[in-house]
Amino acid sequence: MLTRPVGLLRDLDPKRVMRAQVGGQDLVIWRARNGDISAWDNRCPHRGMALSHGFVRGNDLACLYHGWHYGSTGVCRYIPAHPELDPPATIKTTVFSVVSVDGVIWVNTEGAAKPAPVPIASQPLRSFHVDAQSEGLAQACLAVAFDGGAPEQLAHGLYQLGARQVLLLENPLDGERIQITALIDADAKPEDCAALSRWCDAVRRAAQIKMVAA
Amino acid sequence: MSRAYALNDWYVVADAQTLARGPRLTRLLDQDVTVSGTPDAPNVVDDAGRAYPTQFKYGHVWTCLGDASRPLFAIPEADEPGRRLVPCGVVRVKCSPLRAVENFLDIAHFPFVHTGILGSEPHTEVAPYKAEIRDGVDEVWATKISFYQPQAAKSAQSGGDTDYQYRVAAPTSAVLYKTCPPKPEAMDVIAIFVQPRSETECDVWPWMALYDDTSDFAGLVQFQQEIFLQDRSILENQRPVKLPLDPKMEIPTRADLTSIAYRRWLKSKGAFYGALTEDA
Repeated sequence: MLTRPVGLLRDLDPKRVMRAQVGGQDLVIWRARNGDISAWDNRCPHRGMALSHGFVRGNDLACLYHGWHYGSTGVCRYIPAHPELDPPATIKTTVFSVVSVDGVIWVNTEGAAKPAPVPIASQPLRSFHVDAQSEGLAQACLAVAFDGGAPEQLAHGLYQLGARQVLLLENPLDGERIQITALIDADAKPEDCAALSRWCDAVRRAAQIKMVAA
Repeated sequence: MSRAYALNDWYVVADAQTLARGPRLTRLLDQDVTVSGTPDAPNVVDDAGRAYPTQFKYGHVWTCLGDASRPLFAIPEADEPGRRLVPCGVVRVKCSPLRAVENFLDIAHFPFVHTGILGSEPHTEVAPYKAEIRDGVDEVWATKISFYQPQAAKSAQSGGDTDYQYRVAAPTSAVLYKTCPPKPEAMDVIAIFVQPRSETECDVWPWMALYDDTSDFAGLVQFQQEIFLQDRSILENQRPVKLPLDPKMEIPTRADLTSIAYRRWLKSKGAFYGALTEDA
């Protein structure tokens, strides 16, 4: 299993929790107060509750159901029903490898997360989902003009749009849905980002229309 | 899927209010049935026209799809004078019927799911209590439970320790007894009758027998519905959807004695509808 992009770090502030998926594995991704980031099986070992509904207390993630606290190693640190109890180390979530590089959060569910280098000097653009397959997405990218010009594909996922470059990092969720984490070249100004964000919306609509037509 | 044990239990499929609106097309144990008639003479038939036995008890129509039905359990408190009998409507939940019952038996979630009503931090500790499978009656009972609650009932004016007892009378029916705020010598009765539509979807019919002469009916129902809607946000987000009976799959703690007894009891009876078993 490759290392997959699951979103932008700027969309996950410290003390926030989100849900993601990599290769069929349901994930909770969260950041401690100290900024540390974790990616776990989205399931509390106690009663199977989705931890993505939980909340961050200090540097622990707490399950919404019974408030059990888990530290960054995934080990249960506190059970509110028994405040005096030191929970056994066997109560532990399944922890996956996660890193943040170039403002992108990367997860590998089968080994150490080692993202491929991003081929351009970049900044975050946005994250979105598209109901399409990779080929359909690429076709849509070439079909949707930007600023009157036709996009040019420089490499897989990398497009030249006028003076700008956009990189679409793909995380296939199943056969027909992809999570996209989009980056833009480091020289882009805020108004460029706004315009290219709208281009992403147009690409998503075009890819999904093709999907329906096919 | 094992319906073998479940087929011979009784299940709620309507209440009087539903009946009054006309026939109810519903599903029980993966089978489509139609409920009609009146509380005095309810009818349950399947699409092939086969009629099933019915009875009207505790404000609801009950039916059984099997040939060798066990008797419907008794709730003696329903006949005690002075109690208000309050059917609370129905809540559809996409979860195992057994997970719905287990959640009903759980107090440790009150401070986190029913915050400010049935529990609140820092009052999270669950003191030791007793849970047992009572062989003579073939029921699970949990007793000697006490828990701090900010607003234990619609009739409660302030927070306080509430005493609880739980009774699992059938795999999908449970009754709780709790301190009655206006009448400290008595206990309020709250039950859930779970209609298993399938192993992963159910209709939950809460029912109460209370000493409360002041709250209006709508207010009582609304209070209970609010609680169950909060529970639904949990129940629809548990994995696996079916209740695992293998103790290795979900790690309990001391506060889960009732849940442990309930799972063991289901396993010993072969009540596997809605359950995940090692050999399933």
